[in-house]
Amino acid sequence: MKRRDFFKTGAAVTLAAGLNFDKLNAALKSNNMIVEAAPDMVAVMGGEPAAMLDKALEALGGISKYVKKGQSVVIKPNIGWDKKPDFAANTNPELITALVKKCKEAGAKKITVFDHTCDNWQKCYQSSGIEQAAKTAGAVVAPGNDEVYYKTIPIPKGVKLKSAKVHQALIEADVWFNVPVLKNHGGARMSISMKNYMGIVWDRGFFHDNDLQQCIADICTWEKKPVLNIVDAYRCMRKNGPQGRSVSDTSVLKSLIVSPDIVAADVAAIKLFDQVEKMEVSSVGHIANGEKLKLGTQNIDKLNIKRIKI
Amino acid sequence: MSLSLYSQFFIPNLNGLRMKFSFLKRLRVFFALLLFLPVLLFFCDFLNILPKQFHFLMQIQVVPAILAGSIGILLFLAVLTLLFGRIYCSTICPLGVFQDIVSRFSGRGRKKKKKGSKKQWFKYSKPRNYLRYGLLAVCVVFLVFGIVTPLLLLDPYSNFGRIANNLFRPLGMEINNIVAAIALKSGNFSFYHVSVETVTAISLIAAIVVLLVVGIMSFMRGRLFCNTICPVGSLLGLVSRFSLFKVVMDESKCTKCTLCERACKSQCIDSKNIKIDSSRCVSCCNCLSRCKSDAIGYRFSLKTKKQSSALANEVQVSDSLVQNEKREGRRAFMATGTAVVATIPFIPAWADATEVDESKLRPITPPGSKSLQHFKEKCTACHLCVTHCPQQILKPAGFNFGLGYLLKPHMVYKKAYCNFECDICSKICPNGAILPAGESKKTIQIGIATFTQERCVVFTDGTDCGACSEHCPTQAVKMLPYKDTLRLPHVTPDLCVGCGGCEYICPVRPFRAINVIANDVHQVSRKPEEEEMEHIEVDDFGF
Repeated sequence: MKRRDFFKTGAAVTLAAGLNFDKLNAALKSNNMIVEAAPDMVAVMGGEPAAMLDKALEALGGISKYVKKGQSVVIKPNIGWDKKPDFAANTNPELITALVKKCKEAGAKKITVFDHTCDNWQKCYQSSGIEQAAKTAGAVVAPGNDEVYYKTIPIPKGVKLKSAKVHQALIEADVWFNVPVLKNHGGARMSISMKNYMGIVWDRGFFHDNDLQQCIADICTWEKKPVLNIVDAYRCMRKNGPQGRSVSDTSVLKSLIVSPDIVAADVAAIKLFDQVEKMEVSSVGHIANGEKLKLGTQNIDKLNIKRIKI
Repeated sequence: MSLSLYSQFFIPNLNGLRMKFSFLKRLRVFFALLLFLPVLLFFCDFLNILPKQFHFLMQIQVVPAILAGSIGILLFLAVLTLLFGRIYCSTICPLGVFQDIVSRFSGRGRKKKKKGSKKQWFKYSKPRNYLRYGLLAVCVVFLVFGIVTPLLLLDPYSNFGRIANNLFRPLGMEINNIVAAIALKSGNFSFYHVSVETVTAISLIAAIVVLLVVGIMSFMRGRLFCNTICPVGSLLGLVSRFSLFKVVMDESKCTKCTLCERACKSQCIDSKNIKIDSSRCVSCCNCLSRCKSDAIGYRFSLKTKKQSSALANEVQVSDSLVQNEKREGRRAFMATGTAVVATIPFIPAWADATEVDESKLRPITPPGSKSLQHFKEKCTACHLCVTHCPQQILKPAGFNFGLGYLLKPHMVYKKAYCNFECDICSKICPNGAILPAGESKKTIQIGIATFTQERCVVFTDGTDCGACSEHCPTQAVKMLPYKDTLRLPHVTPDLCVGCGGCEYICPVRPFRAINVIANDVHQVSRKPEEEEMEHIEVDDFGF
């Protein structure tokens, strides 16, 4: 063996060893989790957003199960409207702060927060308190106001939606969290985890024009799924959603629903919502469409749900 | 002259004199830049960084002050001109300062010679009183009858605004986008991309033509525009004849060397007859330091009336006597130039040819503008509101709403809509065309959404949509049960403010299923009822 080849092989072996070691570690870790039998869903009630997130992640096996050291993370809240936090039109900023901190603890290299807003993006980011919350906790806040940030991806499993332009930050991320707020919605009936996907795409007009309920389910089939859907139900918007007219449209539920199963998370959230304002799961078309596309199950009674009251 | 004693007292020797005069010029340049740069930046501030207080600099412009009826500001400007001459034109007027900058690049009239180029000097020219006072009279007469169009086309501030909004601002935005694109490649989101949505074909052409006409005029002839076309210049010229401080010549000392005349970018120094036309002098003070015999100075002078009448007489006499071809040529140039400026808008009728939408036959005017009539009478299309609308929905009109609405902004809901919480346009309008709205903005009804069921996707495709209702800030557009689980939009007109949220998001093309139709006179919408907050205790998950 020539000296040069010797070095080359040596370097390659070292690299390979490094990689294998990482993978092995991860495999070992996830094995541990399986042994502990993490629940399919965690529902927490009665605490502040940060405390509830703490409990939920603890029950699921800790943040490090989802975020590995050096990974880049995207947190996708709902920041659709130029409204203050008490309108429940946007995700609770305290929850975002708490989640960013958790990701930091897990050693995330970069945490990006964005939404394709409906109202003026700067006003939404500011009024919702999310820009401030994310920045102070150490995340980057990315704009989503312009087509240049969106790249086309194929949606092979989509029925109506075959491709979509998705935000670059999300395409480049290693993992992402879907963090919607629980809301009534004039068009889609309810806006929870699945509807929150509409904030990752550029052309929403296509959705409205081509069977909204089907397109919502279609975009959720994109291969890059969120590691967790974290439904903020600290406050919910009971009616006049998705914007709300006043604080009187909201109810304080002090709850949080967390699950990797997007359909189950939304079904559970609707059942929670149903207690303050009548809402049938069957009238929210994209839920059934989502189940048909094998995104998750509507039959949440069969799931292992951990309920925690603080 | 009468005040030679006075000047001797303060300025004991020639060197000192030169220094003092060059100080006056520097002072003028300092104030010019101090006032010009913030105005330029305020127009180009696409990141919305600058404090809104900057709009004070637009309020002190003559035409906005007249239209807004700011008597205090007008009095101040009148006193300023009566005291110091047309320093307004040299410092406050952004188009005036812009011309000085262009003129400086031409090097004409400057002492230092550019290498290898033939030195170009300024030369005295006769005033074109018929033209300048004629144009002023046209503007005034039309204004009296509530037609602002001639003033809109000639007002220096509005023209500068249009140049800034349609040319300088987009340029800044494109530079920003290059930086943002480079940053984005490395995943850096600190710079963000901005799209230029506020430039329409007609406003762009209007800005380019004015930039070229004013640019060429100032490059070749200094303040020619200000002294022949600009109605503000002519108006102030009527006042500055009588101003207390002015540039005057001392017959006893003048050697008729023409040094001062060559430096005068207003071309108002007639060194042969030792006369200065104060109505055209903008008090730039360029001439002062040129004089080698202390014959010219910026001084207190009460001998105004005699002088100016003598001058006027002389002008008339020479006008009737001298008829040379060269001047004819110049006049032709002037007439052509003016005609071009005035006919800019007529050129590109083709440019505004868009889809014919019946709901858009009348312009939607911004909240605070009271009525179409009020807005048409007050707006001179400076485009300040256009540059500051965070949603970029205020767009300059073409001919679609008639000559009376030319270049004026109207609300276009194609790519965005009026933010419910925002009233920035009403805060910064210097003309009083959009009056401060404040909290009342949320109940100003500028138009009413009208729903066309036959076009709606819920009706045609039988699928859920509700995008319009989703974007309605007042729930004037509400989804009501239609059939099965489907719900169809329904408009409650008296709740609607005409923000265009519904129209913007409606996915139906080419004509949308919901459109805002303008209110010619703005109305007050009904405030959504305040409901008591229901406290519903929930201590069960429900699943």
